[in-house]
Amino acid sequence: MLRYALRRLLGVIPTLFAIITLSFFVIRIAPGGPFDDEQTLPPEIKANLEAAYGLDQPLHVQYGRYLAGLVRGDFGPSFKFKDFSVTELIAQGLPISLTLGLSAILVALLIGVPLGSLAALRQNRPTDHSIMAVAVLGIALPSFVVGPLLALTFGLHLRWLPVAGWESGQWRYLVLPVITLALPVIAYIARLTRGSLLEVLRSNFVRTARSKGLSERAILWRHALRPAMLPVVSYLGPATAFVITGSLVVETVFGLPGSGRYLVQGAINRDYTLVMGMIVVYGSVTLLFNLIADLLYGWLDPRVRYD
Amino acid sequence: MNRTLLSIRELSVRYSTPDGIVPAVNDFSLDLQAGECVGIVGESGAGKSQSFLAVMGLLPGNATVGGTATLGSESLLGCGIDALNRLRGARIAMIFQDPMTSLTPHMRVGEQIAESLVLHKGLSQTDAMARALDLLQQVQVTDARRRLHQYPHELSGGMRQRVMIAVALACDPEVLIADEPTTALDVTVQAQILSLLAELKRERRMGLVLVTHDLGVVAGVADRVLVMYGGRVVESGAVGEMLVSPRHPYTRALLRSMPRIDDDRTAPLTAIPGQPPSPAKLPSGCAFHPRCAGADAACRDQLPAMLEGRTRAACHHPEGAS
Ligand SMILES: Nc1ncnc2c1ncn2[C@@H]1O[C@H](COP(=O)(O)OP(=O)(O)OP(=O)(O)O)[C@@H](O)[C@H]1O
Ligand SMILES: [Mg+2]
Repeated sequence: MLRYALRRLLGVIPTLFAIITLSFFVIRIAPGGPFDDEQTLPPEIKANLEAAYGLDQPLHVQYGRYLAGLVRGDFGPSFKFKDFSVTELIAQGLPISLTLGLSAILVALLIGVPLGSLAALRQNRPTDHSIMAVAVLGIALPSFVVGPLLALTFGLHLRWLPVAGWESGQWRYLVLPVITLALPVIAYIARLTRGSLLEVLRSNFVRTARSKGLSERAILWRHALRPAMLPVVSYLGPATAFVITGSLVVETVFGLPGSGRYLVQGAINRDYTLVMGMIVVYGSVTLLFNLIADLLYGWLDPRVRYD
Repeated sequence: MNRTLLSIRELSVRYSTPDGIVPAVNDFSLDLQAGECVGIVGESGAGKSQSFLAVMGLLPGNATVGGTATLGSESLLGCGIDALNRLRGARIAMIFQDPMTSLTPHMRVGEQIAESLVLHKGLSQTDAMARALDLLQQVQVTDARRRLHQYPHELSGGMRQRVMIAVALACDPEVLIADEPTTALDVTVQAQILSLLAELKRERRMGLVLVTHDLGVVAGVADRVLVMYGGRVVESGAVGEMLVSPRHPYTRALLRSMPRIDDDRTAPLTAIPGQPPSPAKLPSGCAFHPRCAGADAACRDQLPAMLEGRTRAACHHPEGAS
């Protein structure tokens, strides 16, 4: 198992390398450059600036330098936030973004799985219908609508939670963003769980378990739930990608100083190193979650282990 | 002295489907004695599995079950899930048709056997595992100590079927229902498993129901045979009579369609013409009449009554009547 995990971890490196290479060149192909909108710059100063950042070099040289930096853990200087390195910028925002994203996925699992199971166990009864109706809403409503609605209700009217903003260490500021981000994931996981649990409950091995005289509860916990979790675990990879994109919106709506804004601003500013840094970090997070999902899958289903 | 273990009366199974009501089983009755093996024979779709899944309370939600089934003095049908759960696995057990998918994939074989021992006999996990090892050895699983800790996918079909038998036998049930326990297996393994079941039946004076569509299997093990067609019992009797001089044309056709090793007759094998009926579109009258050479108007119009004789046969013109 450990060897398998290590092997898979090493397997991530080529994928990450491909992501980095592809992004590096695609970003450079896009029209415009980091110093284009500073119209007041005389051409010779602009040339000096570009030389200082190595932008006057041929592309493959820049690429080589960038990789060499990455290996040392150096993401390079930001072109726009001139006093900061990309590493510093990411280090500021990433902890908030990671907390937000991880909490959203955790909350989604902790709520989505029980909701979906409940719906499956009450199939075609009012509980089931209401859960699934809410789930459809949860998937359909975009977070830039849900977020402000939640902020209005729980922030402005009820005054239970802050409307927006951030004070470090204050979890209260994270509650509404996490809920907003988690809602569609909860809904999706609930639907996945319901469908797959219903299928498992009709399977031959559950019939065998029933023939032993086990209670429905024992059947659910010992026999049905683990195999029913397989599709949910497969969804963890895509869910991470979804939460990362979703967090860009949610951080903006709730004014959280996460790292999402750097991706957006970096892209607008053609801040090559900043965008690349974000891609490397988010790419690694996504790959890591896919890996965790694979390992969980192996734990849930012994048939896929050790190969 | 005979002791009736399982008594099934006028059992019926109806499915409500989008296309209407499907009568999968009608008027099925059976008394099973201690130490007796009853073979249930019939083509695919005859209602063999449905009858016994109904008795075990294992049918899906869109099935309605009628009639009664009692195990000793306890009622199995409509007795409530808790009462039923005290019986199944403990006093009545079932081996299922498909050994490849009937074991839980993420649980070790030993745990799956031990489970009902912990539940019904109150054994500790350790004792239950020791007993599971005994059981695996009893059903002649090779290398049982290692198998105990393996997952189902690590075992061959024959091994899984033996594990299924061990699961069913764990609590020493009075009644064992074996639904085609050998279909998925090759001939040598088939013979081993059948003789194993026969031996267990003798040793434990267990009542054994052996569901199969193979009369040859029945010949070796069963004391009595029930032949099902289109969801009904069409003939029943002692195994000797049923295999030598059956009275129902369907049973005779089944016999003719079957190769026999002990038989040097030169008559060719004849397949039964036509297809077995789907319970959704059962022919009128006697369901067998479209495939029966001796059918007449009465066969088309009226459901034949069960006629006593050497065997009990539901036929308007049974063999041996004038
Ligand atoms: N879920 C269901 N919904 C509707 N009809 C069903 C359902 N399950 C079974 N049936 C009907 O019940 C009939 C009898 O099925 P059963 O499984 O008892 O056949 P069988 O005699 O065991 O055949 P086989 O030898 O193939 O196992 C089937 O032909 C089918 O039409
Ligand atoms: Mg069957």
